Amino acid sequence: MSNDKRISLQQAAEIIKDGSSLTFSGFTIWRRPMAIVYELIRQHRKNLHLIEVQGGSHTEFLIGAGCVDIWESCWVGHELYGKYGANLSRKVADKQIIVEDYSHAEMMFRFAAAASGAPYAVTQTSLGTDLHNPEYDMLGRAGLRDGKRIAKHKYQFTEDPFFGAGSQVLIPAAKVDIAVMCVQQVGEEGTVRVNGQYYSDPEVARAADITIVMAEEIVPEEYLRRNADQNTIVSFEVDHILECPFGAHPTGMFGRYDVDGPFLKDFYGRTRTQEGFDDFAREWIHGQDHMSYLEKLGWPRMLKLRANTALNYSVRDKGGK
Amino acid sequence: MATEYATPEEYGLADLMCCAAAREVQDNEVVFAGTGLPMVAIMLAQKTHAPNLKLIFEAGTLDGRPPEIPTSVGDARCEMGASRSSGLYDAFSIAQRGYVDLGFLGGAEVDEYGNVNTTCIGDYLNPELRLTGSGGNPDINSFAKRTVFIMVHEKRRFTPNVSYITSPGWRVKKWPGGEFVHRRELYGAAYRGGPSAVISTAGVFRFNELSGKIYLDTCHPGKTPAEIKEMCFFDLDISRVNGETLPPSREELYIIHEVLDPEQIFVPKVKKG
Repeated sequence: MSNDKRISLQQAAEIIKDGSSLTFSGFTIWRRPMAIVYELIRQHRKNLHLIEVQGGSHTEFLIGAGCVDIWESCWVGHELYGKYGANLSRKVADKQIIVEDYSHAEMMFRFAAAASGAPYAVTQTSLGTDLHNPEYDMLGRAGLRDGKRIAKHKYQFTEDPFFGAGSQVLIPAAKVDIAVMCVQQVGEEGTVRVNGQYYSDPEVARAADITIVMAEEIVPEEYLRRNADQNTIVSFEVDHILECPFGAHPTGMFGRYDVDGPFLKDFYGRTRTQEGFDDFAREWIHGQDHMSYLEKLGWPRMLKLRANTALNYSVRDKGGK
Repeated sequence: MATEYATPEEYGLADLMCCAAAREVQDNEVVFAGTGLPMVAIMLAQKTHAPNLKLIFEAGTLDGRPPEIPTSVGDARCEMGASRSSGLYDAFSIAQRGYVDLGFLGGAEVDEYGNVNTTCIGDYLNPELRLTGSGGNPDINSFAKRTVFIMVHEKRRFTPNVSYITSPGWRVKKWPGGEFVHRRELYGAAYRGGPSAVISTAGVFRFNELSGKIYLDTCHPGKTPAEIKEMCFFDLDISRVNGETLPPSREELYIIHEVLDPEQIFVPKVKKG
């Protein structure tokens, strides 16, 4: 096997098999690997198990398209462009999806545990809430807690054995097959440099068995290694790389382009029903590839979103206004 | 110089709520704020009476000084002028470590002990409506010394039983049985406080120091205590009402509309007739 980690967009989606567990880079509507998400939808991927620190627009696309059986996380929506995840809500009401709720910090700490090879993390967050209600262990209710990839228990409670600090919650490591990342720069050997807030990217990349990095640009590895202290993810934690400009659109990317608010508003408004989602997917996903998608969006729209390189955000557009 | 307060026709409810929320902040505090009105409120405080407040955004901005309002906490605008920009592991570790004085949060439903729901409406196992989910709401609320909730006031949202306790109030459920206990009992060494105020579109509410029960503190101009009591499904204590919520000052309105949110992304301008 060659050391070349480069793959195509189609190959990136093909690595993700039906039934895989997946996680992502980014935060809500920022730096989500949308081009790969669209390709998964075109390839009709099924039975995915999403385990994410928090969801966002990409979650809504995958769920709307029927790719997801299990969503294990804490939040989904489009921030100010759509107040909740309408596709998730519809599928929850129709019992077409299993939702396992944790808190945001719990999800983060679950990934940090997985990233350090620990079987669980310990925390005191969310004590006394329904997140810990044993009746609401949805993977347990579905008989899916086999103790292999899915933990035997949703939570365990214990007392601090060291300092007497009281009730503690044990939360299982987030064991996940594939992390799909979208970043500004990746080197030829896989070193990643994220600009701006890196959200939970270092932990999710390290936790996953396979890490796919889609970057705005592939840069010479040597360029990134000149300033190793500025790099975010280690070369050998990354299995596959690809270059895909505007691959996060309609989500935003620090220093490159802002969130396409009108696009997300349109998606949120039109995808309350399954018919609406299917119609949106016919317009923007099926029968397209990444280049024809960009062409359809058009230069004026993309230039409006383009970030000012001194400020790292667009000065032509704010919140779609 | 005496503060010049705006007249009722010069401001809207969102302005009033932002200013009321900003006044909950004291200078030098470490404050954790979510997307939306909480963000406007905290930055208003930073630009008025609390210039030394330390601002944390959940996505990974620590001690941020954004020049204008970010569109969400993941926004590139968050980290301008920050002490450090990193990620969620830092933000939540700092919160769990006990650095956070005040959290600003939202909610769909609240009960009389300050338990807040952002997860679903109706039975969790057969929900009428699935909402966004917890996000960092329970985490910030578990770890901060005080939390302030900013909410739309509708009677169905002020309920004796929230559909799902997403975020812990003063009396919370002890699992596996689910019996209600005071939060202090459950949190042990991690107990630092809890919800300190709810700012709704009707008034400002606080919590009894001993019982943890909610009471009406101030009514927004134009509302009476009896009207607000009628706007809650639980029996609201109106025995401690402390007059009207102070209106926004002209300076505060200027900062909200001309400095922080000129695009009116979060706070609409009142149209002058």
